Amino acid sequence: MSSSGLSNVKQIKDTLDVITGVVLLLISLVLAFYLVPNYIGEPSILQNPMMSPRWLPNIVSWLILAFSVLLILQGILVSSDTENDERKIVKGPYRRFIIMLIAFLVYVLLFETLGAILTGILATVLLFLAHPVRVWWAYGFALAFPVGVTLLFVNVMNVPLPLMPY
Amino acid sequence: MENLTEVLQLFLSIDNFIAIALGVVIGVTVGSIPGLTATMAVALALPFTFSMQPVAAILLLVGIYKGGMYGGSITAILIRTPGSPASACTLLDGYPMAQQGNAKKALKAALFSSVIADFISNIALIFFAAYLAKIALNFGAPEFFWLICFSLTIIISLASGSMVKGLLAALLGILLSLVGLDSVFGSQRLTFGNYNLMDSISFIPLLIGLFAIPEIIEFYRKKAIPHIKAKASGVGMTLAELKRCMKSIVRGSLIGVIIGAIPGTGATAAAFISYSDARRRSPNKANFGKGEVEGVAAAEAGNNGVAGATLIPLLSLGIPGDVITAIILGAFMVHGLTPGPIMFQENLSLIYALFLGIMFSSLILLVVGNAAIKYFSLIADIPKSILFPIVLMFCVYGAYAVNNMTFDIWLMLAFGVVGYLFNRTGIPAAPFLIGFILGPMFEDNLRRSLLISNGDMSIFVRGPITWFFIAITFGSIAFAIFRFFKDRNAKLISN
Repeated sequence: MSSSGLSNVKQIKDTLDVITGVVLLLISLVLAFYLVPNYIGEPSILQNPMMSPRWLPNIVSWLILAFSVLLILQGILVSSDTENDERKIVKGPYRRFIIMLIAFLVYVLLFETLGAILTGILATVLLFLAHPVRVWWAYGFALAFPVGVTLLFVNVMNVPLPLMPY
Repeated sequence: MENLTEVLQLFLSIDNFIAIALGVVIGVTVGSIPGLTATMAVALALPFTFSMQPVAAILLLVGIYKGGMYGGSITAILIRTPGSPASACTLLDGYPMAQQGNAKKALKAALFSSVIADFISNIALIFFAAYLAKIALNFGAPEFFWLICFSLTIIISLASGSMVKGLLAALLGILLSLVGLDSVFGSQRLTFGNYNLMDSISFIPLLIGLFAIPEIIEFYRKKAIPHIKAKASGVGMTLAELKRCMKSIVRGSLIGVIIGAIPGTGATAAAFISYSDARRRSPNKANFGKGEVEGVAAAEAGNNGVAGATLIPLLSLGIPGDVITAIILGAFMVHGLTPGPIMFQENLSLIYALFLGIMFSSLILLVVGNAAIKYFSLIADIPKSILFPIVLMFCVYGAYAVNNMTFDIWLMLAFGVVGYLFNRTGIPAAPFLIGFILGPMFEDNLRRSLLISNGDMSIFVRGPITWFFIAITFGSIAFAIFRFFKDRNAKLISN
């Protein structure tokens, strides 16, 4: 990168706001020019254009576009409070995060095939291992809670959760 | 007399008492665990209310709301970690008191002022909600259209942080609320042919995803923080100290009521205004910020004075004032009820049964709050590595329970990622949710007005009520612009 390019980046006061603004700008452009015209049906005869199913989505898309430009400008001109910035986190090990993603997948992919109890136990044990729970008796919760909560939903609240595999 | 019997029949059910007690216990428990919020608890409890009677269901959620507001102050006082943004003000004096060995006194002051403020707020709710609903009976579609415009602008203009981000969040919420079949023409809007989206995006998976999943993702994403242990030491609050704080508590409660009744303002503003008012008037003003019991009492009074008052616009106009009342609005809808002036005509007994329950919850808060001071360490010492997997299980079961579809679990996780990205980019989730709720109301009232007037736009300026709402809507926009430039100038000066 050239030195002038680097100084331009340095001039941006809040890079995250600029990135957020650009992403939202792109979303609004896709909405206004592709999704709203192609994925919202409009009746052939309309008494008033404001009655159209496309009217509000259109307005909202253009407003998102306008405000994302404002957000980009805000990011370029106004710096954020770096000391008290709640947006920043100190990242932990990736292994923990990946196991959490696997637990999420266990729930969405196996919930109906394995049933609520087994997926609940499997995902809970995975998460206990991710952020290691070293107290052995705590693993009893991983068994007791999915059973207890499933039975509560099914028998007390009459909400039919899938109970057993298949 | 007939109505009174009906109200008592609806209220005097064992289910209602259990729901209130359970709600307050859950609220205080969740509120006193750092990292868990009352909003998360209310969102997770919503699926459990499906099979309950409407009164018990709403009282359970209101109980969690109230318990959570007090619970947040426990962690603020003992470990300098506010359980909710509103409790941030409580720690200004609460934490120094705890460091001086007066933690128990601070906790008792917070509890007593919370209960008194909550009671005053409930009285205001009972008096003003019915009065406002009576006025709102004169509203037609154009009046409601402007009322929704006003609510949207004020929620955004008073959103914490960047106003532009608040606006973007609300617009994204409105956009997503439009997914599904169009209510007038029946044409598909952004469903991409997916039949699961025809009936619009389910509220509960969105809610759980937005307010519970981001906390879980964050917990597994960020570096582990060492667990802080704390105990409530020292002596409690004396009667003389309570008497000394009484003026600040009552003033703080009234500030909370006024602020809570305006949609979007929230408990945080009320707590800080009440605190600064008490500091200004107190003879001990030099001690504020160093461990002054009156500071804790004033902050908590402002904070809790909001609780009942936020239900005023919800019950009388059908407009949610904050995130939790938006969830409670969702609970009303799950039970086939639409809050607003019509509900005061058609379900008056139910409303008064709710009022009785809400009043009773203040008493329960006193009992549960006292126990929480005693057993706080037992609650707060549960490691999050055990807690969050169980919270995730509740999230998944709750999302699935809505329609018995795995699609809702996908939806919940997708909104969880959206919520996480919101947190990372500083976009507030509250305007998003309120936009999602008010979006269809906005469109519905706009179209109804146009249908009534046969397309004549003058219906939107048809009388004094619409003029009033137009004036306050533009007033709120002007205030937002003024605040934007004021904040920008302050930042430029500080830089």
